Amino acid sequence: MSSSPLRVTVFDYEAGNLHSLVKSLETDFTEVRVETDPAAAVRDTDALVLPGVGAFSPAAVKLASGRDAMRDALLGGLPCLGICLGMQLLFDGSEEGPGTGLGVLSGQVTRLAAERVPQIGWNTLEDTTPRDTLLVESDLQTAYYANSFVCRPTGESARHVIAYTTHERDRFPAAVRVGNVVGTQFHPEKSSAAGVRFVRAFLREAASHVTRGVGL
Amino acid sequence: MLTRRLIVCLDVKGARVVKGVQFVGLRDVGDPVALATRYESEGADEITFLDISASAEERSTLLDVARRTAEQLFIPLTIGGGIRTADDVARALRAGADKVSVNSAAVTRPEVLTESADRFGAQCVVASIDAKRDEQGVWRVWVKGGREQTPLEAVAWAQECVSRGAGEVLLTSIDRDGARIGYDTDLTRAVSNAVHVPVIASGGAGRAEHLVEAIETGHADAVLVAGILHDGVTTVRALKDVMRSAGIPVRDIPVEVAA
Repeated sequence: MSSSPLRVTVFDYEAGNLHSLVKSLETDFTEVRVETDPAAAVRDTDALVLPGVGAFSPAAVKLASGRDAMRDALLGGLPCLGICLGMQLLFDGSEEGPGTGLGVLSGQVTRLAAERVPQIGWNTLEDTTPRDTLLVESDLQTAYYANSFVCRPTGESARHVIAYTTHERDRFPAAVRVGNVVGTQFHPEKSSAAGVRFVRAFLREAASHVTRGVGL
Repeated sequence: MLTRRLIVCLDVKGARVVKGVQFVGLRDVGDPVALATRYESEGADEITFLDISASAEERSTLLDVARRTAEQLFIPLTIGGGIRTADDVARALRAGADKVSVNSAAVTRPEVLTESADRFGAQCVVASIDAKRDEQGVWRVWVKGGREQTPLEAVAWAQECVSRGAGEVLLTSIDRDGARIGYDTDLTRAVSNAVHVPVIASGGAGRAEHLVEAIETGHADAVLVAGILHDGVTTVRALKDVMRSAGIPVRDIPVEVAA
């Protein structure tokens, strides 16, 4: 592992509480900063975190000036963890409101097809096979959700789903992974010990990419 | 499958939890941060701080407590009590709350629900409703901590709160609160069947079977528990065991922190 700390940047769209998230990212091998400028958020960093609070359109507005830079960075291999709204921003757009997502995954974000919306509470994860390493390492089985909208990947992107969750009769992607980019519809930072382990597993993986990168 | 939540409520005044809390072996029994994290390790699904501050100074202290709690608590935290405006909601969220509950202020000015939901999303706006049956058997909404009756009927009021943007309803039966004779399942069912957002039953928990009734008969999505846990009558683990045995889906209590 590299001796210099893993630089982790949280892109803050100024929508809410980042305390638990930042705390879950603070480890003995990370250095966490919070950045409100989207282009700056992907400069001089080893990992990007898109937090989970707020609505799609205001977040897309905050993202707009740095959207291309962020998209390029993610497609170029920058490790990224998008949580809830942050996962939704990885897709093309949302019926919650106007605005352009990062388009790293293709598909739209649509309203949960259920009677009880928002979905608030702990729901079980249905892993795909083989089980993703982050889920193996964390052993996260039940995760906390607070969402009205979910991602609907299309085409090739459907193959990037690593876990599903079902609310009433709507089965939707709980988590996706494409390359080094991971998205979770649940809140790992609110999913108790196993959720924090999931975040830490992501960070360790990001650190291993940095180490490999240095060796090239 | 979405599990049913057990939410632990702590009454907080300034930097202290008030009302007796009898944890054995916990040094500072009145510290909200220590208690919240202790309940998380026991398997609580969520924590609610009810702010019963009497002054602006105590209120700002509570926001500092929320900040310290959020840095150590990795389950959702709701803050309620004394929230008047969308700016109050913003302050509570920035301090570390994941959700904010609004009670009297919504009755005085229902627009606060819409303004908050528009800014922060419906999922963090909880309509807190205190209801009490009147002589005619109608559930009336009471405000100011149960001291003042309003002409509002509880079920219709819950519907209005949801249509104005609340993403969840915290429903407290004043008749049952502290009585430990069971939740008001009729009230809970009436509200739960009338709205499309999750409903949290509150007031009346005396033993585990009451939680089962609130969910099975009252159609509650979550149950709020306070006194019987703080007084050491039972534990989160024991309550969840009974819920699970009754066939209710609950989140398993993580082994590594339960030991």
